[in-house]
Amino acid sequence: MTLLWGFLWGVAGMTVIAVGAILGVWWERKVAARIQMRYGPQQIGPFGSLQMIADVPKLLFKEDIIPDSADKPIFKYAPLFVFGPIAVSMVVIPFSAGWAPLNTSVGVLFFLAVPSIEVIAILLSAWASHNTLSTLGGIRATAQMISYEVPRSLAVLAIVLLAGSLRPLDVVDAWRWWWLPLTFIAFLIYFIASIAEMNRGPFDIPEAESELVAGYFADYSGMRWASFMMAEYGGMISASLFGAALFLGAGWPFTGALGVVALIVKTIALMTIVMWVKWTLPRLRQDHLMSFCWKVLTPLALVQLVIVGVVLPWL
Amino acid sequence: MAVERDDIITPASVSNEYSPGVKGFLEGVRSLVTGLGITARISTEKPVTICYPAEKWSVSPRWRGALRLRGVLGRDEIPLIRDASELYNSVIEDLYKAERLPPCVGNCPANVDARGQGFLIAEDRIPEAYELVRDRNILPGVLGRICHHPCESACRRNYYDEPVAIRPLHRFAYEEFQKVAAERLKPLPVTQDKSVAVVGSGPSGLTAAYDLMKHGYRVVMYEREERPGGALGSGVPAYRLPRDILYKEIDGLVALGIELHCGVEIGKSMPLAALQREHAAVLLAVGLQESRILPIPGHDAEGVAGALEFLWAANNKGETGVRGKKVFVIGGGNVAVDVARCALRTGATEVRLASLESTEELPAHPWEIEEALDEGVIATCSVGPEEVLTQDGHVTGMRVRECLSVFDETGRFSPKFGTGLSDFECDVVVFSIGQAAKLDTLIAGTELLVSGRGQLVVDGTHFTTSVDGVFACGEVVTGPGSAIGSIATGHEVATSMIRYLQGNSLTDNRTPRPVPVYSKYAVADVTGVERSRLRSVMPMSRPEDRAKDFRPVELGLTHQEAMIEAARCLRCQSEICVGCTFCARTCPDYAIQVERVDEPGGRCLTRYDLDLTKCAFCGLCAEQCPTNALTHTGQYELSFFHRDLMVFDKGEMLRSGEGTRATGRDGITPPRCSAPKRREL
Repeated sequence: MTLLWGFLWGVAGMTVIAVGAILGVWWERKVAARIQMRYGPQQIGPFGSLQMIADVPKLLFKEDIIPDSADKPIFKYAPLFVFGPIAVSMVVIPFSAGWAPLNTSVGVLFFLAVPSIEVIAILLSAWASHNTLSTLGGIRATAQMISYEVPRSLAVLAIVLLAGSLRPLDVVDAWRWWWLPLTFIAFLIYFIASIAEMNRGPFDIPEAESELVAGYFADYSGMRWASFMMAEYGGMISASLFGAALFLGAGWPFTGALGVVALIVKTIALMTIVMWVKWTLPRLRQDHLMSFCWKVLTPLALVQLVIVGVVLPWL
Repeated sequence: MAVERDDIITPASVSNEYSPGVKGFLEGVRSLVTGLGITARISTEKPVTICYPAEKWSVSPRWRGALRLRGVLGRDEIPLIRDASELYNSVIEDLYKAERLPPCVGNCPANVDARGQGFLIAEDRIPEAYELVRDRNILPGVLGRICHHPCESACRRNYYDEPVAIRPLHRFAYEEFQKVAAERLKPLPVTQDKSVAVVGSGPSGLTAAYDLMKHGYRVVMYEREERPGGALGSGVPAYRLPRDILYKEIDGLVALGIELHCGVEIGKSMPLAALQREHAAVLLAVGLQESRILPIPGHDAEGVAGALEFLWAANNKGETGVRGKKVFVIGGGNVAVDVARCALRTGATEVRLASLESTEELPAHPWEIEEALDEGVIATCSVGPEEVLTQDGHVTGMRVRECLSVFDETGRFSPKFGTGLSDFECDVVVFSIGQAAKLDTLIAGTELLVSGRGQLVVDGTHFTTSVDGVFACGEVVTGPGSAIGSIATGHEVATSMIRYLQGNSLTDNRTPRPVPVYSKYAVADVTGVERSRLRSVMPMSRPEDRAKDFRPVELGLTHQEAMIEAARCLRCQSEICVGCTFCARTCPDYAIQVERVDEPGGRCLTRYDLDLTKCAFCGLCAEQCPTNALTHTGQYELSFFHRDLMVFDKGEMLRSGEGTRATGRDGITPPRCSAPKRREL
């Protein structure tokens, strides 16, 4: 029964992500345009907000190209496994006080673990394309995503340590405003590592269009390509939601329906910052990326953990 | 063997060099914050693109092209450089600073507007062209035959094929002007009550007189010889400048109002002090009258002559007494070449030119030397005169010593001689090693100062002498030089005199004559260049015929040749496209198509198409544009509704580069070409 509910909530998560991706793309185009002193989409709907309604049918009707030399079954279905885990991870988000779609005692672990399946799917789709650039992109993505799991998990661990529970609802309950300055380093590390997890700029080395065309999804087109894009925006939405819930106190300072609104506003703000960062900073180099993860982020996350550990007995 | 390499410089963006430890971390954080701050600030500014739908109805989403034309032949007129002489220097200076000064004008000592001349001749407004040139170059018909044309060496056309024949066009304009001279030469009105005396009727004196007359002063000119012209009449060989041309052109200036008195030698017939009393200002433009002769053994023997006396005899009497004799000319300058060629024409059997300089260093103009060698002059270079060999007081030969080098390391004149001596048999030796002024009779009884070397004490910028109200210009100030250089000093002294006569300071707010520097052009490769693009060839008399008498060597351009030549002018720096097609020829992608018509009066650019589908934005076309008409707009992002719009025609190219987007083709029509006016040539 739980499994069925979980499945249903997964479907709901997919829907949220699909809609969110549509709005997210429109919003990103607006943000990028203003940074480049343009207006962005403005012809379809108010402020061009219906632009993606025009773009989705375009993607649906595009020819679905499968390369001759590709490993066809894997090539066809790998995009589903890129998108699926992201959607599934949405079910443990504590949307309002006392309610999450799936209220499980290992929710935080679930959120960190399930989207990691995406790494395998990306590697598969890259390998199945039978294309040097794609393979290279896939390997880069794997190295990057696995590496950044470490500081990201350590950063979340600081919050878990404070709350004394892996259940997201418990964490939200236990959250106090002074956690924000106390765990600010953890929040920054989580935020940076999440951007790397989504393969977004300035960490979009696996896609690196100037060197790898589009990296692991270079050979994809139409709706299959769109599922990679949705996974990217889905990752953005879920990571922002999770970050807003755990680090920024979910609905705080409001409760009830206003609390849900507050969570959504915080999420949108975080997503906007992600876009702002992407359109500001140039792409990193692969070795810089790795040394930043292992030499800066991971030690910093451990320092944060020690700080929390030292403070904990006095709380 | 080890190969030498430059050090490889790693760009900062790919370098692993960053500050260690916390410092580097903080630097990184600071640069992150700076970057985010920049984008945040920019995103709050008003976008520079079009805001739909408000502007949609009036503006289509087309970017401007990457290139545009500032002006175009057929629509815009070439600005003529023309102003009063006291303002002219600042006009030239301003144009030069704004990079709008044509190189021919900048390189001319008198800054004659050769571009304007080319424009007016091509438009068939030839008398206007003559008058434009005469403003700065007092005797275009004369200088059109004898000038050493620094304009042509600076001509941008040197870079493409061959320079425009600016000097022959002066001559052509003069010949055409003679047809309408009677109606256009009217005395200039005398509006001032002061008068000016000019001593000497050479080019510099005439220039100053004309500038003063244009300001309404009465000018009285005195000439020692029976005919006016100064060095032009006595020194310049008649085969280059027929004397009737010289006298006729000076008559034209007399018709403008100069009171010319010939045969009056100031200091002998009339004292200079009388002129000072009678006139508000006196100008000494007496030039150089004496040849210098080296005091070597035998220099006083019979048969030794100075260049000026020799040329005077050749030009005015047609006889120098060298018929059947061997002539030895000492000197390597233009005067020496003139002497050698005149000696041939007056019947010398052999003419030898001996110069101190080596063949490459000869100070004479290469074309002069070439013509002289064509006629049979023998050149002996790198020798210095040692002794004139004499027998019973008559010249029998010349002994010369080899010369190793003429100039020292710093470029000063300091000849070094070797030990080798050689003798040449000859009957006449002509020294052509320079000239000196003869001032003693002129300045007798005045307070004018003369320097230890016998030269008048003159300020080299304002041309004032040691006596108030007495000015000097021309070669008496500058030393031996070119005719156009003398004319330039005439303009300067006129500026000084006008300021003096009006009671103003000579120095306040005065712009010194600008001296732009132009790099020399390498000889262009003209293989494969169409005949129609090359310079009109000046018809010449045959060397074997012309060496025998004083017939003109250059025969002049025909009307048609001159019109074609004037149309070759690129109108440099005018910012008006003349359809020279060099942009189209330069374009590596063949993106530009240019067509024009060259009919006099209907000259027009009929087509200028820029195909932006081919354009790679390399900018080579704008780089080499001689007129600076073709410029970058800075708009390299392009989008169009359909492909036809990607070809920019003449109208599109002429649109202003302001703003970020333009209005598509709506409302833009290229300027039309007027029908050429047919004219019988």
